[in-house]
Amino acid sequence: MAMQALTRCNAGQATAGRNDMAVLTVKDLRVRYSAKGPEILKGIDFEVEDDDFLAIIGPSGAGKSTLIRCVNRLVEPSGGSIHLLGEDVCSLNARALRGLRRNVGMIFQEFNLINRMSVMDNVLSGRLGYTGNIRSLFRAFPRKDVEQALYYLDRVGLSDHINKRADELSGGQRQRVGIARALMQAPKLLLLDEPTSALDPKISREVMALIRDIALELKVPALCNIHDVQLAKEFCNRIIGLQDGYKKFDGATDTLRDSDLDDIYAMEVL
Amino acid sequence: MTEQMPAPRPSDPPKWSRYQYPESLIKHGTLLAVLLFLGYSLHFLNVDIGLLIGALGRFAGVISERYYPPDLEYVLDRGYLEAILDTLQMSFLGGFAGVCLAIPLAWFSAWNVTPSRRLFFPIGRLGVISCRAIHETIWTILFVSVLGFGMLAGVSALTMFCIGFAGKLFSDEIEAIDMGPAEAMRAVGANPFQVFLFAVVPQVRVAFTGIAIYTWDVAFRAATVVGFFGGGGMGWYLKRNVQQLENLRVAAIILSIIAMVLVAEFLSGWLRATVNRAK
Amino acid sequence: MAATDVNPTALSLQADLRRKRFLKMGLIWAIVLFFVAWCLQGTIIEDTDWARVGGRSGVLGSIGRYLTLDWGLLPELLIPTLETFMMACVGTVVGCFFSLPVAWLGAANVTPSKMILYPLGRFLMVLSRSVHEIVWALIFVSAVGLGALPGILAIAMRSVGFISKITAEAIENIDAKPVEAIRAVGGNQFQVMYYGILPQIYPVVLATVIFEWDINIRRSAVMGLVGAGGLGLLFFRQMNSFNYGGVSMVILAILLLIVLGEVISHYLRKAVI
Repeated sequence: MAMQALTRCNAGQATAGRNDMAVLTVKDLRVRYSAKGPEILKGIDFEVEDDDFLAIIGPSGAGKSTLIRCVNRLVEPSGGSIHLLGEDVCSLNARALRGLRRNVGMIFQEFNLINRMSVMDNVLSGRLGYTGNIRSLFRAFPRKDVEQALYYLDRVGLSDHINKRADELSGGQRQRVGIARALMQAPKLLLLDEPTSALDPKISREVMALIRDIALELKVPALCNIHDVQLAKEFCNRIIGLQDGYKKFDGATDTLRDSDLDDIYAMEVL
Repeated sequence: MTEQMPAPRPSDPPKWSRYQYPESLIKHGTLLAVLLFLGYSLHFLNVDIGLLIGALGRFAGVISERYYPPDLEYVLDRGYLEAILDTLQMSFLGGFAGVCLAIPLAWFSAWNVTPSRRLFFPIGRLGVISCRAIHETIWTILFVSVLGFGMLAGVSALTMFCIGFAGKLFSDEIEAIDMGPAEAMRAVGANPFQVFLFAVVPQVRVAFTGIAIYTWDVAFRAATVVGFFGGGGMGWYLKRNVQQLENLRVAAIILSIIAMVLVAEFLSGWLRATVNRAK
Repeated sequence: MAATDVNPTALSLQADLRRKRFLKMGLIWAIVLFFVAWCLQGTIIEDTDWARVGGRSGVLGSIGRYLTLDWGLLPELLIPTLETFMMACVGTVVGCFFSLPVAWLGAANVTPSKMILYPLGRFLMVLSRSVHEIVWALIFVSAVGLGALPGILAIAMRSVGFISKITAEAIENIDAKPVEAIRAVGGNQFQVMYYGILPQIYPVVLATVIFEWDINIRRSAVMGLVGAGGLGLLFFRQMNSFNYGGVSMVILAILLLIVLGEVISHYLRKAVI
């Protein structure tokens, strides 16, 4: 199934024509954090299709994190448009934005767990978008959610740590909690912000494999920031190369040449 | 590579409950006990909960009705301005004497450098704790009954208060020092006093200065009320007008207290920042 | 010897530096001592009626009156001690309730309006701390009458400043990452606060509340002096009837209560952290 997904996509089509199947369409995206500050993203266009596992690579400071945070508007874009699941992200009001965000699972570089809560509560917090205030006040999540959480905890291999506090776990285990939390949202798109850069190489590979397998299993497209080109080549079917706010490369993984990499990472040599 | 798992739920749902036998029971039991105690306290103290909730609304009403407008002319009166100066002097003197006495006591009561753990440590600890435990108003009343009305009693009470306040902070500061220099001094054969002078004082000098300034700030707040119990200063005016039900004057006095305390706080903040910069 | 090799200019520079520092410190001390002398003159020397103090024997005599304890007062102490303790507990809890909104207004990163409500929150914090608990009690006695209620409210008001200040600082220093995560799963404002902020600040807040509760026992012991019941009232009565042995008994009761409070708060703080 993974191979299918990898071979299906070909570079030319993905960028050339606008495809109605696209889950996410980003057009001419521009971001600056303050009116006088430098532009972080300088007009980015790309699309994510419903079976993509798309990697964004580039040197640090290229705007990878900013790009991925624009998709669910954790960072406000200052120009361009983003269409996600048929909705114009930039025009949503706060309430509609929350409704959209609960459909987008996000996995963070530093896991972003609530350290003083138990693993179970952390995973259940993925359902907050579907839970009312009174239920959240008493942490009384529906039976169905609890069962779902138990299933995903088992799936990521944390069945033995359900009642531990999140800060008692190792890095790899914490990221697995983060994955389970994102899956609890029943996401229609996964955003991965450097999911492995706080982990050592062996654990990184395991975590990436887990995410990729689950994404394929649930047929969820994923958009993944990654600084490790080897990992990107190994796990992703398509790669976007960013450099200093510009898109330098966009195509299937097997079309990525060493010369492209030199181009993307040119700044880092200097 | 990937095992197919179309059903996201296994046939036999595993069990999990937020409530675990001993921990949850203890936690919620304690919470319940505390709530019951608080409820019983309200009953025991004859506090009407409705009154408690309504108190803030009434509070605003009472303030606007009785205390407005404050009689500002009264606080600009010469006698009152002199009382403010007295208060300032009392707090300064009390703070100074308190800090001077607190330093040796803090030295005695710091476990790591105390001259004798058997003899001086308990003396220092007891001194600081008893000064701290008794509220400054009680000290004032006691000193007034021994020394008579006036600022001598007020200054003595403030001194006791400052010993307790500064002594605790000082000894905490001393206990946090790097023990390396103290060991070195002991190794060259210094006696405890020399260790204190050469190993402790250089490390805590800046912190002590900051604490001393803060102590004055806190002493000033306390000094505004010692007069209420016969210790001299602004508090005496407060007491007289409270007893005569001169509410507008009371309002003005309270406003002047707030203003003076704000000035003192600002001044002490500025001084502490200066000391920290100059270190 | 090595000492003879020292460069003479370096030596004189060193001496110069020392002299400058010495002058500066000397100046500061001179100012402080001058102030002390001035204050001594103004407050103690001019103001004290030394005849009334009555020399060494007079003072020692007055102190001696306190040393004959009045054990007969023992049964009367129990209820006021309990009242004082309860007043401190309830006052602290009420203070916590008042502190929440103040901390919310006064924390720069969550305040609803930076221009108006943030300064208001900060002002309330300063106001609460700058007014002495006796003054708060006087205000509340005149607002709600005699009894435990004004004492509770005075303690609560006095606690608001410190608790809300520390809470606001804790809110300002939280780790933004869990907050971002809760926003990313689609949590609303309440859920962000309850799941993202609260778990991070509650150990700090709880420790502060316990600390404040410890101090509030001291405060509630004097509330009776202005008409709010408890040990202070008993103290006042003993003082007015010149029963100095009884006064000492009340002070002993206060000390006992405070030691008890300190022991409890020591263990509570350990349990929280």
